[in-house]
Amino acid sequence: MRQLAHMLDTRQATSREIVTRYLEQIAQQEPQLNAFITVDEEGALLQAEEADRRRAEGRALSPWDGIPIAVKDNISTAGLKTTCASRFLENYRPLFDATVVDNLRQAGLPIIGKTNLDEFAMGSSTEYSAYGVTRNPHDLSRVSGGSSGGSAAAVAAGEAPWALGTDTGGSIRQPASFCGVVGLKPTYGAVSRYGVVALAPSLDQVGPVATTVEDTAILFSLIAGPDRRDASSSEARPFQVPRWDEQFVTGLKIGVPEEFFGEGLDQEVEQAVRKCLAELESRGAVLVPISLATNEYAIDTYLTLVTAEASSCLARYDGVRYGTRVAAADSNTMFSKSRAAGFGSEVKRRIMLGTYVLSASHYEAYYEQAQKVRTLIKRDVLASFEEVDVVITPTTPTPAFRIGAKRNPLEMYLSDLFTAMANLSGIPAISVPCGKDSKGLPLGIQIMASHFQEELLFKVAYMVERGCL
Amino acid sequence: MIDRQDVIRMARLARLELSEAEIDQYQQDLAGFVSSGRKLQQVDVSAVEGTSHAVVVTHELRKDEVAESLPQDLVLSTGPDVSDGFFRVPRIVEEQE
Repeated sequence: MRQLAHMLDTRQATSREIVTRYLEQIAQQEPQLNAFITVDEEGALLQAEEADRRRAEGRALSPWDGIPIAVKDNISTAGLKTTCASRFLENYRPLFDATVVDNLRQAGLPIIGKTNLDEFAMGSSTEYSAYGVTRNPHDLSRVSGGSSGGSAAAVAAGEAPWALGTDTGGSIRQPASFCGVVGLKPTYGAVSRYGVVALAPSLDQVGPVATTVEDTAILFSLIAGPDRRDASSSEARPFQVPRWDEQFVTGLKIGVPEEFFGEGLDQEVEQAVRKCLAELESRGAVLVPISLATNEYAIDTYLTLVTAEASSCLARYDGVRYGTRVAAADSNTMFSKSRAAGFGSEVKRRIMLGTYVLSASHYEAYYEQAQKVRTLIKRDVLASFEEVDVVITPTTPTPAFRIGAKRNPLEMYLSDLFTAMANLSGIPAISVPCGKDSKGLPLGIQIMASHFQEELLFKVAYMVERGCL
Repeated sequence: MIDRQDVIRMARLARLELSEAEIDQYQQDLAGFVSSGRKLQQVDVSAVEGTSHAVVVTHELRKDEVAESLPQDLVLSTGPDVSDGFFRVPRIVEEQE
């Protein structure tokens, strides 16, 4: 990104030229990939011309003014279609920008398009998108991951230099890992959720996807901060894009939880992560075997809470104020028919599961129980950071799977096995590429740290990036 | 045990019209979910409070000031059926005799 900024700064390229180059790449790649739901060619070029004008007049909004970005299609962009990959919102154009989109505009970033996802971010492969699957740029027969599969694939294929995604149980880190790019799930509350279509408000976070750790950190610095319009956003913490520091790794305590290296873990994934850990150790880090035993309950806890919250959040789609409406003689029938017509099968499944766990006779046994187990998971995670600085695990149990390989929904939910814990406990976590397997598929390593320790995460991520590829 | 009536009741609560095939499908899915979640039921949480938000934030009071809001015609512009400044829906309240 510094290179693009330098080119703009020294007039070697205009924003219009840069945006045009990415649009050409999109035109070339999209027939195979399907990473975008909407490409805003006209809007992006207009924004680019404005950026060029600002630079010519010496009033650039930021060093990144004029560098385009792709945005996941569940993040509101005023006037630009925001479908959440659902038929229900096929023609929905938000009336306002999400705060994070506002942040991008304040920095002068032209929005090049809206990326594909699983419908309402419910999924781990983008196969549940109403607009077709996003294919993995490294192997077109495989998924790009999800739910932010469009953002990860777009960045991996050079259709955009960076992108925003959202992560509720692994939806930024898992596709980043599958596509060989960097993706950060920030601390809960570090980034505003205002204008981001909710899946599970107690778990959702917006985060950056980019090709390098530094670009990921830069994008995070643009969107982090408190927001009056999001009561769950936290007070400002100073965040500086950290510099690479060779000495930093000396004495760094890295927790390695045995539970993440057990049954079900792909051998090549394990080898790559172990090799990377050995490399960090050889440079002075201290590997500390730890236990995160409560991860055994992470997926079931996550699934209970996410379906409950989703069923409640999605109650707003009633066909009254926006979206799909199917006419009927009475309102209840109109709601039921509109929702039946607008939602896909996975969304309906989660609404049904969520309604079940929230219903009067099951609330205590399921929802309340899951909230309490969540407390145990959070305690377990936070206790580990009293012993170690960061925890390192594989991002996913396997590399990208084939399109259509996971027919059973419960099997699909297991893709989040290593990532859901960070959402449940609210901590930040980043996925960084750590090589490829024998088939040439990218592999990812996950680094987790305590609340608001993003700077530390990025410093360790630099080490992984330089030492483990 | 999840029976068809449970599924139909959930669908009614969720305002979701389901086909016969969907009812069968979600009956299976609910049953699968309930049995996989059994492990969770056995965790001892007797001395534990629930977590609804992972990071505790204290809500600060702000001044009650009038701020800009979206104009009515703009908000109505997204509605599938609007008239006279309202979103129009089928009759909800029965007319009195």
